[in-house]
Amino acid sequence: MPRSKTKVSFPQFHFYNYPIKYFIEQGLDAQYITAPKMINRTLDRGSKLSPDYVCTPFKGTLGSMIDGLEAGANTLVMTMGVCRLGYYGELQEQILHDMGYEFDFINLSEYSTGKQRDVFRAFKRINPKYSLPKATKTFLDALKMVEYMDECEEIYYKNCGFEVNKGSYKKVYNRFLSAMDTATSRGDIEAGYKAFKRQIREIPLDKPDHPLRVGVVGEYFTVMDPFSNLEVQQKLCNMGVETYRYINVTHRNIHYNKAKNLRVGMEDYFKYEMGPTSTMNIWAAKDYAEKGFDGVIHIKSAGCTPEIDIMPVLQNISADYKMPILYLTYDTQTSDTGLDTRLEAFYDMISMRKKVI
Amino acid sequence: MSKINLSSAKSGAVTIGLPRAMLYYRYEILWKNYFSALGVKYIVSEPTNKEMIKTGSAYAIDEACLSTKIFMGHVNALIGKCDYILIPRVSNFGFRRNMCTKFEALYDMTCNIFRKSGQKFISYNVDELAGLTEEKAFISLGEELAFSRKEAYSAYKYAKKAEADHNRNRVKTQETLYKKGGLKILIASHSYVERDAYIGKPVVTYLKKMGVVPIYADVVDRKDALKASVKASPTLKWEFSREIVGSIQINKDRIDGIILLSAFPCGPDSMVNEMVIRRFAGIPILNILLDDQDGTAGLETRLESFIDILRFKGGDL
Repeated sequence: MPRSKTKVSFPQFHFYNYPIKYFIEQGLDAQYITAPKMINRTLDRGSKLSPDYVCTPFKGTLGSMIDGLEAGANTLVMTMGVCRLGYYGELQEQILHDMGYEFDFINLSEYSTGKQRDVFRAFKRINPKYSLPKATKTFLDALKMVEYMDECEEIYYKNCGFEVNKGSYKKVYNRFLSAMDTATSRGDIEAGYKAFKRQIREIPLDKPDHPLRVGVVGEYFTVMDPFSNLEVQQKLCNMGVETYRYINVTHRNIHYNKAKNLRVGMEDYFKYEMGPTSTMNIWAAKDYAEKGFDGVIHIKSAGCTPEIDIMPVLQNISADYKMPILYLTYDTQTSDTGLDTRLEAFYDMISMRKKVI
Repeated sequence: MSKINLSSAKSGAVTIGLPRAMLYYRYEILWKNYFSALGVKYIVSEPTNKEMIKTGSAYAIDEACLSTKIFMGHVNALIGKCDYILIPRVSNFGFRRNMCTKFEALYDMTCNIFRKSGQKFISYNVDELAGLTEEKAFISLGEELAFSRKEAYSAYKYAKKAEADHNRNRVKTQETLYKKGGLKILIASHSYVERDAYIGKPVVTYLKKMGVVPIYADVVDRKDALKASVKASPTLKWEFSREIVGSIQINKDRIDGIILLSAFPCGPDSMVNEMVIRRFAGIPILNILLDDQDGTAGLETRLESFIDILRFKGGDL
């Protein structure tokens, strides 16, 4: 199969660019340009070009597209979505074209018509001669990679706050991530995953019998992307907390049954699906409460409508189960001092509560 | 949340409260005629005033949009005055015909906010992608009010016809405005913003006072507007925004300027306004963001200078 001349880039989103890269390079035989890691300048340039009260991920992803174009990409891909995200692509394309950038834009919103054939048309634009069987197989590999990454991340955040030798968890975790970054076959993915599981078991931990446990819920992009949430989960772990986050691509996208089974037993809190991630987040918060977690942190970007709308529900859950919830809203701030203060206060409060109760 | 286990709705003992906010401005005729046809009493909250915004802001999450805060003020005003407050859940009317997620959440959000008040709420669910049409929604609403399927169906049909007549008349009346002389300004805004007594109406009144002809963009043949919007912005998926953008696309040559009137921080508008400004370059556009301001002086200055510029451009000044 001839290699396509397309150089594809996708805005940075947590570590999910690895499976995207894997799929585009191995499955569609096109070149993938990894957008540079987001830095303050990314957000800065993005927000200067964005309408001022659009939600924050718009600004970050727009900045990341510019980074990708500067790194040599000639084709940008943007995802579809059920909230405002579904309209990101068209507006970002317009803004970048108005700026004078020249590129090909594949907006998956245009192709997400519910018919599978339409998605294949999008693949054709990346590589007109792609092979469907190969793409399908690679796609399944990429999904497996996502599942592995989400699983390993869960293990990481559960334990990394209790390592005996500072940095030993991070080392193994980073080694796993770079294995995913460089994987070119299913074998590589499996090997990287197995190595992580083997190595992580051997790291000595010093964990109390009943450590503090905090659940993290919130808006799809900001809650997962450590750059966007100023590494809130890592910060909590560093204080000696087990942190959990139910929402990830595995749970929200791969094994998502329209949250049907998460709605059972929620009649006291809601009757309808309130938004794209609402059921999942409310369910997770209630689940954490029932498991006796010490607290929950709700994360969203400024102006995220669906997440603002579930806040009254979370407040009721917090009152009913006597579980503290910290609400954090992120915009384009670059300093994390304010966040540190709030997290420390939250930590002090939940640890004092734990001693009393 | 609870099923109504009484035939008292039939005997006229049940009163439904309609908050004069959000979808009221779109469905006023449909709701009123539907309930009248069934013989159910209803009350409507007073037009928005300052006090309502204040209490509404206290109940709503502080980051919610101004329209949500106003809505909560209206709900609060109805509490204790009726048996059920109607809050529909409207998700979509089909593919790329979505509503802002606010309207998916409004019912549950309000129930949670006013949980302690003891007030009962009633809802209907429109989600055409899941097979729940408006007709089905109104039939099950009627059944919940202890009417038969047939009664609910004929009340819906009756109300739907009244709504269609009303809309047709509005479009017709508006058509005469386009033919009027003078400066014609298209107000591109959601009905619950532009027609709200406290936030949107003052803008329209002021424009009239300035001798301008304000025309509502969303009063338009909806089918035509939906079709036209695809041309202007293919992946635009919010029903209301598509009607407005489609209306701009249809009428852009018959107007002198556009005022984009939004409630802060409206989700869809945050992007659609930007798109309108970029795609309809060449038409003078004023982008006004309304929040819970007290004074109108700043607003008036901006409107005045916009109109002055338009008149200057037209050689009338």
